[in-house]
Amino acid sequence: MPRQDLTYDDVLRIVELVKTAPFSEFRLKVGDIEVHLRRRNGLDGEVQSSPAAVATARAAAPAPSAAREPERRFPEGSVLVRSPMVGTFYRAPAPDAAPFVEVGQHVEPDTTVCIIEVMKLMNSIAADTRGVVVEILAANGAHVEHGELLMAIRPDPEDG
Amino acid sequence: MKRRHGPVRPRRFDFVDVTLRDAHQCLWSTRMTTAMMTPILGAIDRAGYAYINILGGAVFDVCVRYLHENPWERVKLLCSRLATPCDALTRGQSLYTFELFPDDIVALNSQVFARLGVKVLTVYDALNDNRNIESSVRSGHEAGMKVNAMMTYTLSPVHTDAYYVERTKELVKLKADFICIKDPTGLLTPERGRTLFPAVVKAAGSVPMQLHSHCQSGLAPEVYQIAIASGFRFGYTASEPLANGASLPATEDIAARAARLGVRTAVEAAALKEVAGYFSCLCESEGKPRGEIAKYDPALYEHQIPGGMISNLRYQLQTMKLEHRLPEILEEVPRVREDLGYPIVVSPFAQYVVTQATLNVVQRERYKTIPDEIRKYAMGYYGRLAAPPSAEFLERANIRPGDVVTERPAEHIEPWIPKLRAELGASVPDEDLLLAAFYDKALLAPLRNPAPGCTFRTSPLQELIRFFGTRRDIEFAHVRFAGTEMTFSAQAS
Repeated sequence: MPRQDLTYDDVLRIVELVKTAPFSEFRLKVGDIEVHLRRRNGLDGEVQSSPAAVATARAAAPAPSAAREPERRFPEGSVLVRSPMVGTFYRAPAPDAAPFVEVGQHVEPDTTVCIIEVMKLMNSIAADTRGVVVEILAANGAHVEHGELLMAIRPDPEDG
Repeated sequence: MKRRHGPVRPRRFDFVDVTLRDAHQCLWSTRMTTAMMTPILGAIDRAGYAYINILGGAVFDVCVRYLHENPWERVKLLCSRLATPCDALTRGQSLYTFELFPDDIVALNSQVFARLGVKVLTVYDALNDNRNIESSVRSGHEAGMKVNAMMTYTLSPVHTDAYYVERTKELVKLKADFICIKDPTGLLTPERGRTLFPAVVKAAGSVPMQLHSHCQSGLAPEVYQIAIASGFRFGYTASEPLANGASLPATEDIAARAARLGVRTAVEAAALKEVAGYFSCLCESEGKPRGEIAKYDPALYEHQIPGGMISNLRYQLQTMKLEHRLPEILEEVPRVREDLGYPIVVSPFAQYVVTQATLNVVQRERYKTIPDEIRKYAMGYYGRLAAPPSAEFLERANIRPGDVVTERPAEHIEPWIPKLRAELGASVPDEDLLLAAFYDKALLAPLRNPAPGCTFRTSPLQELIRFFGTRRDIEFAHVRFAGTEMTFSAQAS
């Protein structure tokens, strides 16, 4: 009796043949099923990504990090704030909030000067020194490397 | 009259399908689109599931961020197309994200669910602090849904059977319609099931118990069998090609085990086979992996990190050129977890533990940097901790006893709806208002694009043709079957 339905099992067997057989021409006749394929030369059989998958891949790809300037020199005694980890540098606690610090601002050791987002978690970075912010070296939202310079602080002269 | 003795064996065991939700979350990074689901909904509906889980935190988030689909449209479409009642999961007070939302947003979310056709609201809190699901349970009931309350399983000295019995009693008191043990990392073993399951079934009384366990250790099917024998009424499972591995057990497998225990199920083998056939073909056409049965890995019980998270971490370390530190980080994870009072290694706390362990290893000094969220967690802002944090951690984090908060976390959060209504206009639909509460405007812009078309039927022949269509090496295909004949040819490039 002829089979009335092509089953998913049949399809999967054909898929397996197409994937594994190194053919340029393929003809299959099993019962009622007839398949005839021709393959282009020189192309591997990778499945073409669907538009959704392409969009996903694009969205998931990390943004290329900008080429970095060679490390700069700062006046002697400057305290340099560096990124503790690879992450994203933020100058403000929220997109519409004022920056934590500006150049020229005086900071205490526990003043938060910026945030580094590491693996989706926010790390408040403290000044760790008493002094004046003389330079902010990373752009808001920039990808920063482990140990990258973020800010320079000129420490207050020691008392006494 | 003769009285029955011994445990009452349930007469039947029913299934909650996770193929459209957790299965692809675990195996395909949550990238199943609505258009991939719709052709097979008819067969899923005939498969005899009690409920179909269609939404969870990651599905909602990936819809918005990566698939650029409006998640509400998906919920509405699936609920209207499926006769089987649909189940949607949230992270309690956090809904789909990792931050806590005010009660008014949580309540509005429940109302929107009910209006779109969701019948069961499933809810959990990653700290098992049931004060974080109170607001969901109440608003879910008020909106006319049943509520399934989950408690998350983990291994630690404090997560004992007695701990879960206490949580079960709290959930009974909250009037949950179902209580579920959620084992996101597949840590349950048959041995533990033999003591834990009868204890929670007893504590749940007349409230039916559900099991939701993943297959990372390969033991989940055995664990389900123990659950069935212990009187659990429901199990979450997936269609066979998208089951196992980091996903949940296969419906086919668990139904067969139930049958061997003499427990009836409602599953329809022919429909399940059709669903499995479709998803097997979809794996081929989309170039996506099937679930493979996991090898037993004893290290899993140490670090407890979900499989998906390890591959994600490896990828992140690669981009930082720190991949070689992975073994050290995995060793640091259990120590950090102990220091933090045994958080459950599930989102978002999995992220906390892994990130802190990474910082500890990379900086070569423990707790030199502590993410703000971890400090807030340790102070109780997200809910009650399972155990107090270590003295070393508290000292490094500079947390003093007076910093610790004890009230229900959402008590700290002002209502948002008045502010959002003022901003978006009084006539803004509830769905849009919620999206605006969860996401930045820029992320929402692509959702306004028209949704791609969906088809609601398919056949093996159509799936074969779809497969040929995805192969860029095939320039000519001719298929003839039972009176159907089709030819395609591609332009030589």
